[in-house]
Amino acid sequence: MSQTPQLLFKNRKAGETVFMPEYRASGGYQGLEKALRTMTPQDIRELVKAAGLRGRGGAGFPTGVKWGFFPADAPGVKYLVCNCDEMEPGTYKDGVLLQADPHQLVEGMILSAFALQTQVGYIFIRYAYERQASNLRKAISEATAAGYLGKNILGSGFDFELHVHGSAGRYILGEETALLNGLEGIRPNPRLKPPFPATRGLFGRPTTVNNVETLANIPHIVMGGAQWFKDLAMTTDGSGTKLFGLSGHLNCTECFELPVGIPLREVIETYGQGMWRNKQFKACLPGGASTPYLTGEHLDVPLDFGTLEKVGSRFGTAGVTAFDEDTCMVAATLNLIRFFARESCGWCTPCRDGLNLVKWLLEQFESGTGTSDHLLMLKEQLRNISGNSFCALAEGAMGPVAGLLAHFEQEIVDHIDQGRCPFHR
Amino acid sequence: MKEIITTDALLDAQQLGDFVRHAGEIEHPRELIVDVLRAIQTRYGWVPDEGVELTASILGLTAIEVEEIATFYDKIFRRPVGRVTMHLCDSICCWSRGGEEIAAHLKKILGIEFGQTTDDGLFTLLPSCCLGCCGIAPALMIDQQFYGPLTVEMVDELIATLRRERSV
Amino acid sequence: MVTLTIDNQTVTVPAGTTVLEAAQKLGIVVPHLCYHKELGAVGSCRMCAVMIHKGTLTGLKMSCLIAVEEGMVVTTTDERSMALREQVGEWLMLNHPHDCPVCDEGGECQLQEMTIAVGHGRRRYTGKKHTYPNQDLGPFIAQEMNRCIHCYRCARTYKDYCGGRDFGVMGSRNRVTFGRFADGMLQSDFSGNLIDFCPTGVFTDRTFRFTSRFWDLQEADSVCSHCGVGCAVIPGGRLHQLQRVRSGTNAAVNGSFLCDRGRFGFDYGRHPERPRRARRDGQEVAVDVALEALMSDARALIDAEGPEAVLLLGSERASLESNWLLQRLAKELGCRVPVLSPHARRHQAAQAVAFDLSHQLASLADVRTADVAVVFGVDPLAEAPLLALALRQIVRQGGRVVVCDPRPVELPFAFEHQPLSPLALHELLGGGDMDGKHLRDLLRQAKQPVLVAGADLLGTAGLRHVHSLAQRIATDDRACPIYPVLAGANSFGAALLSLPEQDDLMTRLEGDHVRMMICLETDPLVEGPDGKPLGERLARLEKLVVFDYLPTAVAARADTFIPTCPPVEASGTFINSEGRLRRFERVLAPGASLAHKEDGAHPPRAFFLTQPDSEPLPAPRLLQRLLGGETSLAQIQAEMVMDRPRLAALPQLKAGEEGERVAATVARALPEEKLPEQPAGTLQLVVSPARYGSDLLSRYARQLTPRLTTACVYLHPEDAERHGVQEGDRVDLDTRFGRFTLPLALSETLARGCALVENSAALPEPIPGSGISFCRIGRGGANG
Ligand SMILES: Cc1cc2nc3c(=O)[nH]c(=O)nc-3n(C[C@H](O)[C@H](O)[C@H](O)COP(=O)(O)O)c2cc1C
Ligand code: SF4
Ligand code: FES
Repeated sequence: MSQTPQLLFKNRKAGETVFMPEYRASGGYQGLEKALRTMTPQDIRELVKAAGLRGRGGAGFPTGVKWGFFPADAPGVKYLVCNCDEMEPGTYKDGVLLQADPHQLVEGMILSAFALQTQVGYIFIRYAYERQASNLRKAISEATAAGYLGKNILGSGFDFELHVHGSAGRYILGEETALLNGLEGIRPNPRLKPPFPATRGLFGRPTTVNNVETLANIPHIVMGGAQWFKDLAMTTDGSGTKLFGLSGHLNCTECFELPVGIPLREVIETYGQGMWRNKQFKACLPGGASTPYLTGEHLDVPLDFGTLEKVGSRFGTAGVTAFDEDTCMVAATLNLIRFFARESCGWCTPCRDGLNLVKWLLEQFESGTGTSDHLLMLKEQLRNISGNSFCALAEGAMGPVAGLLAHFEQEIVDHIDQGRCPFHR
Repeated sequence: MKEIITTDALLDAQQLGDFVRHAGEIEHPRELIVDVLRAIQTRYGWVPDEGVELTASILGLTAIEVEEIATFYDKIFRRPVGRVTMHLCDSICCWSRGGEEIAAHLKKILGIEFGQTTDDGLFTLLPSCCLGCCGIAPALMIDQQFYGPLTVEMVDELIATLRRERSV
Repeated sequence: MVTLTIDNQTVTVPAGTTVLEAAQKLGIVVPHLCYHKELGAVGSCRMCAVMIHKGTLTGLKMSCLIAVEEGMVVTTTDERSMALREQVGEWLMLNHPHDCPVCDEGGECQLQEMTIAVGHGRRRYTGKKHTYPNQDLGPFIAQEMNRCIHCYRCARTYKDYCGGRDFGVMGSRNRVTFGRFADGMLQSDFSGNLIDFCPTGVFTDRTFRFTSRFWDLQEADSVCSHCGVGCAVIPGGRLHQLQRVRSGTNAAVNGSFLCDRGRFGFDYGRHPERPRRARRDGQEVAVDVALEALMSDARALIDAEGPEAVLLLGSERASLESNWLLQRLAKELGCRVPVLSPHARRHQAAQAVAFDLSHQLASLADVRTADVAVVFGVDPLAEAPLLALALRQIVRQGGRVVVCDPRPVELPFAFEHQPLSPLALHELLGGGDMDGKHLRDLLRQAKQPVLVAGADLLGTAGLRHVHSLAQRIATDDRACPIYPVLAGANSFGAALLSLPEQDDLMTRLEGDHVRMMICLETDPLVEGPDGKPLGERLARLEKLVVFDYLPTAVAARADTFIPTCPPVEASGTFINSEGRLRRFERVLAPGASLAHKEDGAHPPRAFFLTQPDSEPLPAPRLLQRLLGGETSLAQIQAEMVMDRPRLAALPQLKAGEEGERVAATVARALPEEKLPEQPAGTLQLVVSPARYGSDLLSRYARQLTPRLTTACVYLHPEDAERHGVQEGDRVDLDTRFGRFTLPLALSETLARGCALVENSAALPEPIPGSGISFCRIGRGGANG
C-alpha cells in the first residue's frame, strides 16, 4: 500500500509473525554475515554515522554520534540494551515491528553489539508486550541454534549473549537511566547525568541504550550503505524510513513505514485516509504524547526532526494522533497531563507535584471554575517546569501544554468566559 | 484470622527451584525481582506480603528491598484483585475514540468504580496508561489479551462471555 | 583552586566544589532541601536554582549539581532563579498539612526556613491535599508522613549512608512513601539520624515529642560519653530535665551522625534513683560537711598509717580535669598517686595508645576516606558504633574492609571477616603466616590504608604488633595510621595523665595498708574485672568514699557519698580514642525536674528557697573545694598545661569545635605480655560488650530497654558438637571469673575454639578487656 521501499515492514503480513526460515529467505542475517566477515567494529560505527540514522526512541539523537562516545575498545564487560518500553501514548510502532518480524531486532542487536564490542545484551520490554517478548525469546533461541548468538559467532571470535527482561508497567522505565535501574532491580528513578551510561551504565559498566527501531535499522544500513539509507528520506538532512503509528480521529489508524520527511498532509490524507466521520482536521500530536500540537497551518510541514523543531514541535516517535474540529483541546491536554502526572516516578518536585498542579488548573478550566489567575498560573507552570525537571518526563509532559498555550489559548479563555466547556453539549 | 499462605500457593516447586538456582548463578540476583513477583502474581493472582517475603528470601534481600520495587510498578498488585483484571486504557488515543463512554459503561454494568472488584470477586476494573493499542482504540487488556476497538455492544458481549467462562 | 563570581563577589574554592557550596562560602545561602553536606547532592528537589551567565553550561541550573569553573559568572538573586525557587516552594507545600503549630519540628524545620527563604507565602492551590497513613516505627521515632516533601533524605541517610536494610521508598509519583515493610522498631543502630536528617517533621524523636518547643530548650555543645569515639552532641533540656540529644557536627569525628546508643541513651542522668544528696554513715548531710569529714578522715589515716593508707581511684568516665585534680589531691594529702582506672589491663592498653602509638593515630575522618581498612580485634557496632559507619563509607567508595576478630561481627556493609580466636589473632599479628601476608599485600597496594585496633581484645602486646605492622606498611609518601578503639569516653585522657608509679588497683589493695578508698565517678565492682575479690577487699576498708552521679553498687556501699554531675550538667574535657581534645559545656543545672511527670501530672507545687535536688556539683568543683579554693575551669586548665605540656591546646579548646589532638610523645616502656598456654579441653573465653547496656551509662539509660538483648553463650556449631551441647541448652561456663549458667546459641561466623559471652545488664560479669583466658563448658547442672 505504501509507495516507500519497505525495510522494516518488508516481511509484515497481517496477523502473522515471521521467524527464522522466512526471515533468512528475505535476506535476513546477510548483513551480519557480511559485517562479521568483511567489516571491523569501527567500520560499522562509521557507516552508521555516515548514514545519519537518528534515534527512533523519541529524542532523535544521532546514533552514530552516540556510538562514537562509547568506549568500545575498553576492556571488561559492556552492555547493549534495547529499549522496548514503548509506553508513550500514541506510540505503538515497536510493538507492531516485533509482532511482525522479531529477527530484525535480534540481528540488529548482534551487529550493534559487534560494532560496540559489548558481550551482553538485554531487551527491556514492557508488560503489555508479552506476545512480542515470546516472539523475541523464540527468535533468540533460533538465532542461538543457528550460531548467530553465543560464543564465537560465525567463527569471528566475537561472543554475544542476549536476554529478554520483562517489565511490570510504568512509562518512566522508557527513560534510559530509569530503565537501567529497573533492569538492575532497584527503584527505577532516572539517574543523575553525568556520568552517562556510556561511562557508567548497567551494573556500573559502559552501556548503550537504543530503541527497537533504531537497532532494527542497522542490518539494512549495513546491507544498503549510508548513501542509500540517506536517500530514502524526503528531506535533505533526513535519512531513512520511519514507522508512523497513526491514531486518533483518522479513518485508518494503522502503522506505516514511510520516508522521513513526508509532509503531514500526506500522512493524514493518504495513509490516515482522511478525518474520521468527515470532520475537519484541528490538530495533532506529531510524535507521541510529549510533542507540542501541530495545527492546520502545519499540514505541509515535512515530518522530520529538524523541520518540526523549527515549528515549535518535535518529531518524537512519529506516533501521529489526530484531533478533529469537535475536540476540546483543554480536555485533550488534561487527558495527556493526567497520564504524565500518574506516570511520574516521584523523584523530582516539578514533575511529582508540579504536574499535579497543572492537572488541577486544567481541571478548573474544564469544569468551568477556572479564572484568569489560573491561566496566569498555567503559564508560570510552563515556564517553571520546562527545562527544570530532573529528567525529560516532565519536560515532555509540558509539550502539549506548550502547544495548548501557543495555538489554543483562546479556547482556555472561552472556558473561563463561559464558565463551562464550550465543547460539552 | 489471617489466612496462612504457603510457598506452594505462590510458586510451584519447579519455579522455586529454578529461581533459587538462577539467583545463585548470577552476579546480581536483584535483577530477578520483577520476574519473581510476576511469576507469583501469575500463580496466585496478586502478590501478598508472603510473596514479597518469599521473593526477598530467594534473592537474598530484605522484604522492604523487594517492596520498594513491588510498589513502584502498577502491574504488580499488592492487594487482592478479581479473577479477571481488566486494564482499560484511558490515554489520549483511546480517549479520542470514546474511551470515556466505554469506561462509564463498564462501571455501570459491573457496578464498580475504577480500582474496585465486583462483589462476586470476578472482575477488577483498572485504568491503564496506553497499552500500545492506539490503532485499535478504545482498547482494553485482560491477561495479555487485547480487545478493541471497543463498542458498548462489544463490551456487553465480552462481559457476558467472561461471566460464563470465568465464574466459579 | 578555581575562582568564580557569584552575585558580583569573587570567591576561590577548590576544584570540584559545587556552586552551592561556593556560594555558602560567601555567606550566600541558596535555598535547598535535598542537598545535605553529609549526603551530597542528588538534584531531586530542584530548589537550589541559580543563573549561570558564563560557563560551559549556561542558563538556569541546580547549583548543587554544577561544579565551579574558572571565570564562571553566577547570580542567585536574578528574577528567573528567584521565580523558580518560589515555585518549588509552592509545589512542595501543595499537600503539606501546614500543621506547624502542633509539629515538633516547628522552629527547627528546614522546610519552614526554606519556604520563607524562597518567598512562598500565599496559597493558590485550593484542591484536595494528598494524605498518607503512618507506620509505628518503634519507641524511638515517630512518623507523620503527611508532612513529607519527598526529598529522599531519609532513605539516603538510613539506607545509603548508614546501611540500614529495613527502611525504604515505596510507591511512585505523588504517592511515594518512606518506611518499613511492616510496622515495628527500626533495626539499624543508626536509626535516630532520620530525626536530624529529615528536613521537616516526618521523622521526629519519639522520646522527646511533646515535651518542649525547640526554642524553649537549653542547648549546648557537648560530647557523647557512651564510648571512646567522642561524637559531637547537642543535648537539650528544659525545667531541669534533659529531654533529648541531637547530633552536633565534627568533621574529624562523627560528621553529623550519631548512633542510637548515644542519641537515646541520655537518660541515665535522670534515673529515678540517681543519688542527689550527700550521705555519711547512712545520714543525709550537707555536701561541705561530707567533704570536710572525708578530708579529716583521710588526713588522720595518712598521719597514722602513712601514704599507703588512702587510695584514690580516678576513672575513664571522669573528665580530664577531675582526674588531674584527683592527682593534685593526692599531693595535697601526701598519699600515693591515684590509680586512674579500676580496669588495669584496659588502662594499660590505653596507655600504649596514648604514648606508644600517639604519633600515628588516625582520626575517624581518616578512616572514612581510606581505601583499605584492616580491623584487628574490634566489633565496631558493639565497641565504637560510629566506626562502623566510617568503615561503611570506605566500602561505598569502592574500598575494602577486612575484620579479624573472633566474634560473629556484623556490619552494615559487605566486608571480609576472618574469625580468628584471640590467640590466633595474636599469632597472626606476631608471626607471619599466609593470611598475614594476604593482609600485608592488601595494605601495601592500598592508596590510603588504615589499621583499626581494639584495645580491649588486643591488649598492650597486640597493640604493639599492630604498631609495628603499621610501621612496616607505611612508606615515605603513604602513611598507615591506626585508629584505636578504647572503651571509655576519657580512656585516653586517663591514660595520658597516668603516672608510672601509680600501679594497679588490685596490687595496691594487696595486704592491709589501704584503709580508705575514694572512688571518683567509677564503680570498680562492675567497671573493672576484679569485682568479686574487690568486693571482699572493700568490706575490710575503714572508709569508702564515692563521688558519682549514678546509683551504682559501690555507691550503695559507701560510708560517704558525694553527688556529682553527669557531663550535661558540667563543663570539662575528654580525650577521645584518637587523642582529640573534646570540650563539653554545661547544658543544664542540676536539680529536680520541674517538667510534667510522665503521666501528665504536675510536679509538686511547693516553694523552696533553692532549687530542690540542686546539691550535685561537678566533680572538679568538689575536688577544688577539697584542695581549699575554687577557681575557674580556665584556671585549672592553665595549671594543667604547665604540668602536662602535651595538653598545650587545652586553653584554646572550645566546645562544638573540632578540637585539636594532644601532642604526640615518644614511646615509653611498658611491660611485655606473654601469651598464656591453652589448657587441654578448654575454649578461649571471648567477652564482648553488648551493643546496648554494657557501658555503665547505657545500663542506667532506661530508654534503651527495647534494644537490650538477653544473655547467652555463643559457640561455633562444631564446638557445640564436640562438647555435646545444643542450641537452646542451658550450659555451665566455668571461667576464671566464676561459673555462669546461660542458654547456648550457635553462630557459624564465630571463631572456632571460642566461647563468646556479651557483657550487659543481663550479664554484668565478666568484663571485656580482661585478657586472654580459658573456660570449660558443660551441660547445665553437671559438676565441673
Ligand atoms: C519519560 C521518557 C520515556 C521514554 N520512553 C522511551 C521508550 O519507551 N522507548 C524508547 O526507545 N525510548 C524512550 N525514551 C528515550 C530514551 O531515554 C532514550 O533516549 C532512547 O531509548 C535512546 O534510544 P535511541 O537513541 O535509539 O532513540 C524515553 C525517554 C523519556 C524521558
Ligand atoms: S521528571 Fe522527575 S519525577 Fe518526573 S519522571 Fe523524571 S525524575 Fe521522575
Ligand atoms: S538542593 Fe539542589 S536540587 Fe535539591
